[in-house]
Amino acid sequence: MSVWATVLAAGIITYLSRASFITAGDRITLPPTVERSLRYVAPASFAAIAIPATLNGDRFANFGDDWPRVIAVVVASVVIVRWRNVPASLLIGMATLWLILGVS
Amino acid sequence: MSDFSFDWRAFSTGARDIIALGFPGIPVGMVIGVVITESGIGDLAGWVGSWVILAGAANLAMLELMAEQTSAAVVLLTVAFINSRHAMYSAALRPRFAGFPRWFRFVGPYFLIDQVFALAASQPVDMPDRERMWNYFGSAITLWVLWVASVTAGLFLGDIIDPDWQLTFAVPLLFAGLMLLSITNRPGIVAAAVGGGVALLTAGFPQGSGVLIAIIAGVSASTLAETRLGAAS
Repeated sequence: MSVWATVLAAGIITYLSRASFITAGDRITLPPTVERSLRYVAPASFAAIAIPATLNGDRFANFGDDWPRVIAVVVASVVIVRWRNVPASLLIGMATLWLILGVS
Repeated sequence: MSDFSFDWRAFSTGARDIIALGFPGIPVGMVIGVVITESGIGDLAGWVGSWVILAGAANLAMLELMAEQTSAAVVLLTVAFINSRHAMYSAALRPRFAGFPRWFRFVGPYFLIDQVFALAASQPVDMPDRERMWNYFGSAITLWVLWVASVTAGLFLGDIIDPDWQLTFAVPLLFAGLMLLSITNRPGIVAAAVGGGVALLTAGFPQGSGVLIAIIAGVSASTLAETRLGAAS
C-alpha cells in the first residue's frame, strides 16, 4: 500500500470509529442498562489513558524516573479537585515537574 | 423541523471553553510536525494525515511505524485500536445528538477529539439541541484550527521547543484532570479505578488494544456498582 493510501485509510478508520453511533442516531436503540452505563465512558477512558501514563510513562512523558511524574500529577489533581480549573492545574503541574527536574 | 440556525453565543462559548483543554495539544502537534519531517513519508502526506486522523497518540504511533517501514496492515490495526475509544465516545454522545440534523451526524463526528468529547459530555442534560450543536461546533472547529496550526508550525519551524521542558507531559496532566472532572458520583470513581487499573494490566497488549478493554471493564464495573449503590450515591 502506498503512503497516501495508508494515511487516508487511517483517517477513514478513525472517522468510522467516531461516526459509528452518532451517525446511527435514533435508528438504533440500546438496552437501557447499556445506555445508562455509557455515562461512565468519560471517567473510564480518561483514567485508562492518564493512570498508565502517570505511573509508567508514555510517548508524551518518557523521561527518566516515574516519581516526578507522579508527584506532578498529584499536585495538578489537588488543583483540579479544589478549584476545578484546568489551565491552573496544567500550569502548576508543569511547574512542579520543572522544579523537580531542575529545568532552568 | 426544529430550528438549527447558527447560534453565535453557543458557538463562542464552546470555542472559549475548549481553549484551556487545547493547550496540551500545541506541543504535541508541533512534535508531530517534526516527526513527519523525520519519518520520510513525505511532508504533504504527513500533514494531510494529521488532520484526517486528528488524534495525537494514534498519529505518532502511525508515523513511528511507517518510518520503520512496517506493513500497512499493522499500521492500520494500530490506528484502529488506539482510536477505538472514539467509538465509545460516539456511543456515549449518541442520545444527546440524535435530534440533530442529518448532515450533522455525518460531519460532526469527524471533530470528535478527546477534549471535544470531554466538553460535550459535561454539558447539562437539558441543554437545548440548537445550543448543544453550535456549542459542539465552536469547540470542535477551534480545536481543529489549533491542532492543524500546531502541526504546521512543527513542520516548518522544526525543533524550536527545548525538549528539557517536557511540554508534552501536559497531555497526561490534562487527562488526569479530565478524569477527575468527569467523576460525579461513586460509580464514577469505580469507573476510573477499574479503567485505570485494567489499563495498567493490559499496557503490554499488542497495538494498544489494552485501552479499549480497560474502558469496557471500567464502564461495566461502574454499572454493576451503580445497581448496588444507587446512582445518586
